[in-house]
Amino acid sequence: MTSSPPDREPAAEAVLAVEGIHCTACTQLIELRVGALPGIAAIEASLATHRVRVRWDAAATTLRDIVGAIARAGYRAWPVTAGGSGAQRAEQRRARRTALWRLFVAGFSMMQVMMYAFPAYLAIEGEMSADIDALLKIASFVLTVPVLVYSAAPLYAGAWRDLRARRVGMDVPVVLGITVTFVASAWSTFIVPGPVYYDSVSMFVFLLLGARYLESLARARASGAIDALLEAQPATALRFDTWSPTATSAASSTQAPREVAADSLRTGDHVLVQIGASIPADGVVVQGMSLNDEALLTGESHPVACGVGDTVTGGAINLTAPLVVRVTAVGPDSRASAIVRMMERAANRKPALLQLADRHAGTFLWAIMALALAAGLAWWQIEPARALWVAVAVLIVTCPCALSLAAPAAQAAAIGNLARHGVLVTQGHALETLARVNHFVFDKTGTLTTGRMQVIDTIVLGELEAGDLMRLAGRLEAQAVHPVAQALAMAAAPLLVADKQQADANTPLLADSIETPGAGIEARVNGRRVRIGSPAFTGALHGQPFPAHAATRLGAHTLVALADEAGWLGAFALGDGIRPGARAMVAALRDAGCRVTMLSGDHLDAASRVAAAVGIDDVQAAMMPEKKTESVAALQRSGSVIAMVGDGVNDAPVLARAHVSIAMGSGAPLAQTRSDMVLMSARPADLSHAVAVARRTQAVVRQNIVWAAAYNLVAIPLAAAGVLTPWMAGLGMAMSSLIVVGNSMRLWQGAPHTAVAPTFSTAPHAQDLKAA
Amino acid sequence: MTQAGSSTAGNVPETYHYKVVRQFAVMTVVWGVVGMLVGVIIASQLAFPELNFGIPWLSYGRLRPLHTNAVIFAFGGCSLFATSYYVVQRTCHAPLFAPGLAAFTFWGWQLVILAAAISLPLGYTQGKEYAELEWPIDILIAVVWVSYAVVFFGTIVKRKIPHIYVANWFFGAFILTVALLHIVNSAAIPVSFLKSYSAYAGVQDAMVQWWYGHNAVGFFLTAGFLGMMYYFIPKQAGRPIYSYRLSIVHFWALIFTYMWAGPHHLHYTALPDWTQSLGMLFSLILLAPSWGGMINGIMTLSGAWHKLRSDPILKFLIVSLSFYGMSTFEGPMMAIKTVNALSHYTDWTVGHVHSGALGWVGLVAMGSIYFLIPKLFGQKEMYSVKLIELHFWIATVGIVLYIAAMWIAGVMQGLMWRAVNSDGTLTYTFVESVKATFPYYVIRLAGGVLYLGGMLLMAYNVFKTIAQGTSVNAVVPAPVDAHGPTPTLAKA
Amino acid sequence: MEILYLLVPLSVLLVLAVGVLFWWSLGSGQFDDLDGPAQRILDDDD
Repeated sequence: MTSSPPDREPAAEAVLAVEGIHCTACTQLIELRVGALPGIAAIEASLATHRVRVRWDAAATTLRDIVGAIARAGYRAWPVTAGGSGAQRAEQRRARRTALWRLFVAGFSMMQVMMYAFPAYLAIEGEMSADIDALLKIASFVLTVPVLVYSAAPLYAGAWRDLRARRVGMDVPVVLGITVTFVASAWSTFIVPGPVYYDSVSMFVFLLLGARYLESLARARASGAIDALLEAQPATALRFDTWSPTATSAASSTQAPREVAADSLRTGDHVLVQIGASIPADGVVVQGMSLNDEALLTGESHPVACGVGDTVTGGAINLTAPLVVRVTAVGPDSRASAIVRMMERAANRKPALLQLADRHAGTFLWAIMALALAAGLAWWQIEPARALWVAVAVLIVTCPCALSLAAPAAQAAAIGNLARHGVLVTQGHALETLARVNHFVFDKTGTLTTGRMQVIDTIVLGELEAGDLMRLAGRLEAQAVHPVAQALAMAAAPLLVADKQQADANTPLLADSIETPGAGIEARVNGRRVRIGSPAFTGALHGQPFPAHAATRLGAHTLVALADEAGWLGAFALGDGIRPGARAMVAALRDAGCRVTMLSGDHLDAASRVAAAVGIDDVQAAMMPEKKTESVAALQRSGSVIAMVGDGVNDAPVLARAHVSIAMGSGAPLAQTRSDMVLMSARPADLSHAVAVARRTQAVVRQNIVWAAAYNLVAIPLAAAGVLTPWMAGLGMAMSSLIVVGNSMRLWQGAPHTAVAPTFSTAPHAQDLKAA
Repeated sequence: MTQAGSSTAGNVPETYHYKVVRQFAVMTVVWGVVGMLVGVIIASQLAFPELNFGIPWLSYGRLRPLHTNAVIFAFGGCSLFATSYYVVQRTCHAPLFAPGLAAFTFWGWQLVILAAAISLPLGYTQGKEYAELEWPIDILIAVVWVSYAVVFFGTIVKRKIPHIYVANWFFGAFILTVALLHIVNSAAIPVSFLKSYSAYAGVQDAMVQWWYGHNAVGFFLTAGFLGMMYYFIPKQAGRPIYSYRLSIVHFWALIFTYMWAGPHHLHYTALPDWTQSLGMLFSLILLAPSWGGMINGIMTLSGAWHKLRSDPILKFLIVSLSFYGMSTFEGPMMAIKTVNALSHYTDWTVGHVHSGALGWVGLVAMGSIYFLIPKLFGQKEMYSVKLIELHFWIATVGIVLYIAAMWIAGVMQGLMWRAVNSDGTLTYTFVESVKATFPYYVIRLAGGVLYLGGMLLMAYNVFKTIAQGTSVNAVVPAPVDAHGPTPTLAKA
Repeated sequence: MEILYLLVPLSVLLVLAVGVLFWWSLGSGQFDDLDGPAQRILDDDD
């Protein structure tokens, strides 16, 4: 993660995972401490992900100094690097276990202490004898001690850290509150009989730890997508020392691969990927045809077919046949690393609101303690016996934990949800802006269409049904390298692979294959002569004219016909297919109240046909890139908030002009993508999902802030007036945090309404075209 | 790999210890018949008192404790021994620890039952409900129970599977808690070989007794049988438990909330009011974990409800859970002081107990034994599946008759007892309420006869199955390959 | 209610014992996999 722009001094950049961050005050402290080191260019600590992103002058300071500074502030930090966070994960698991145990002790103690406290609330005056009362209090005391010394330990550690740094964090008033309550209750138990509030102590600690535990779970889920991706990268690879493409199949290759560490792979190496193994690095298939599971990388749950010349991504799982792959990118250049970096960058960006909160947290906490002291002093004049309890209640009830969690918890849950479904948010502002967008502008090629030659229609002309036609075409074209042939071979791949698995007899037997360049292929299939290729070439086999209805239907597309000596078998239309689900996505965006425009560099005819197929009526065709940018700018001047959706490469200037830019991630080299969001699987349905999640996120953040602010406004006067007892204060404060976290967790739910799963017997996009 | 004898190199494969399981399983059926027969006898005595025949040791007062002891500790106890010994071995992939001691628990437990069957009709009793047995038998129970704990936990310690299946947690909690409860509650000062006095006095004794009494229900009749449920429902349905996570939560929640519900048995007594209210509160809290467990068990069938139609054993297990849900709802309601004011001392309580005992404990134990018997005797299934189906329907109709009659009778009694005239005198004499209850006692008797009839069908079915089969002990899977080939059977 | 002098310490002790038990089961990884064990008893063919 070191970048060295030529025009500046050498700068280093790293992301550190930090344990022990609880509130914005913690992130402030870390920023303060690390920022004080020489040569720090930028530092940003994230409450949402517990990560610190730092850029510094490598000549002035070292990573070790930075980790040291964080440690002196009282936190533990590890550098996060792609692939090597096993120790950190073990540490996280241990930490989670400890947290669970602390929570359990507190919860358990709470239940038991309440049981012993309950009789005192139930008993009528004088019904319970003094010795029984004392016995129950002692039992409560014994059961509260573990909460104080064990469960609350992280709170004490946090407060101590703050005090040493001579500042006030969220934990200081909390610790002050529980300590005073416990000591005063112990005094009432053993020295001067009086009221005890052991139940308040254990309940408050339990609920507070519970809220933090839930919040950490939400965060673990958000970063879980990153971890899963890193975990999917295999540690070893099977590398060919020398590779010559003479061998006919990967399995029968005479060259034996050697097992090497995946780290040692270099660009240009050839590796063997066996069935069920993960692909060790990004590369291009040089031999074999298979289906890959890229779910972790793109959120796409259906296996993706790949053949010779196709790019594959490190971390995908090879499902059906061995592949030989030539490595094209390793280490930090790889797609997985790019994804991880982009996800982390987004999670580390602070929303504007949070930055504001950061600046004022310290002041606010001082104000709380002053308020508590004032309330205590005031009550000292009115009713001295209650002064202490009122001060404690004010202290606890005002702790602004809920307010500080309002935005980051929602943001983390939403980003986690989107990442799980293959939508990468690479800029912190993206969700906020996307929620406000009222006008979507789409590029055509590669965005609404797949941008690749593919089978978009199949016509049956003979006795073979569509699936068998496809199988036959696939077998005939298997060896050819022409793009048309590859499109057919790819369309047939899943069928052929399935046949092989089921040992199905449908697969035609093939012999004497001869290619006529520029025309087509002839071969013997089960003894019959069969041709595939241009209608002229295939028609020459039997001399019948190409059926007129088929010619009309397949119209402007590239035609591939199939025939034997007896007559026509069928025909395929190939073209730039419309992405499945594009029409539904456009409809969904309209329903969400957005206008939709399509910009295309293509001529009006082609552009209109695609626009009609996906249901867009506002088309601007034959536009040069600078015209597109102008067009977007014009829309912006008219007051629209624009989201531009493109393929991320050819339309970079337009993307940069829009308020939010969204790239289809399947084709573009990710590392160069400058968009705010990336649809990893290029499924249109993901876009409408992202809009829905963004809007829900803003709604949830608003609810959280309103709730947290309203709670504090109501609770502070009540506590100061002596209406709230310490246990009510603890319950209220912890419940308000729990509600905020719970409300945010709702964003984790919800999945895109995926369009019909792609089927292979006929091209699914034909329906989209026909519907137009 | 069909017979263990054919395995290579004369290597005799290690087998599970099924003998003690077989013994307890068979005795479950035997004691079930006996206990329910005694139940039918005392039910008919309540309807027709002349059936006492004037013989003291046949009188209701002496047979009633015999009935409760026989069904709870003989029938229920044997089924718990059988299933826990089976489940702990199968889920730990380890044969029983100390098989000799396990054999001792069998013979010792039978001796306890025999001693109870003799001493109770003869009138020797400590007078504590569900803990009537005199001190020498109590000591024998304690010894057997400690041996049971040693065998069970010893097996857990030598397990080959690192994870301890949730059923074992329930069985373990049941064994430990019952040991503690028994020892504390039975503390007594003997004055002669067959007479002792409780170590506690007055209301203290009542408090300890119901601390014991309620927890005996909680841990003997609930935790132990939940252990059964968590193993046999997934096995019979061929599906994993609906949520394993929930089952873990269920366990710990039950453990933490059960202990203090006891005082609800002593509403409106000399017990301080705050203790009674505490008991009521905890009884209400209990509803949550109980229903969590019930839902978890029933939802195991979600997506496979059709199995319920064709599989009578599954019917036993699932319907038992619905009775569990019903009585764990009814129980907390009855613990509410105002409801209790009506229900206490009436036959409503008897109905409540029996919806738990016949519906939950009885059906789940029968279902589990039906599952076990063929496996223990080398058969594919029971001698007659149709008879199981018949048993299920007879038993269910019997339960419904029983509890419906007792509800009506109970509410009626409660209302009659509390009815007062305008001048403050009681509207009804006690004997009038007894007279009014007569038809319901007859219906209850019919329900009991049906339930006993079902049990007799089971005994016949089990007898025929055993007669067809031979005793087999399954081979313990080799530790290196826990998912390896099907374990083989060895002749016992 | 002198009996509480027996029952209260007894249940405090019991609570601590259960706590230790839970600690052990958490520490020894009993709750690490909460899906596998449910399936495993079905794989145990009998």
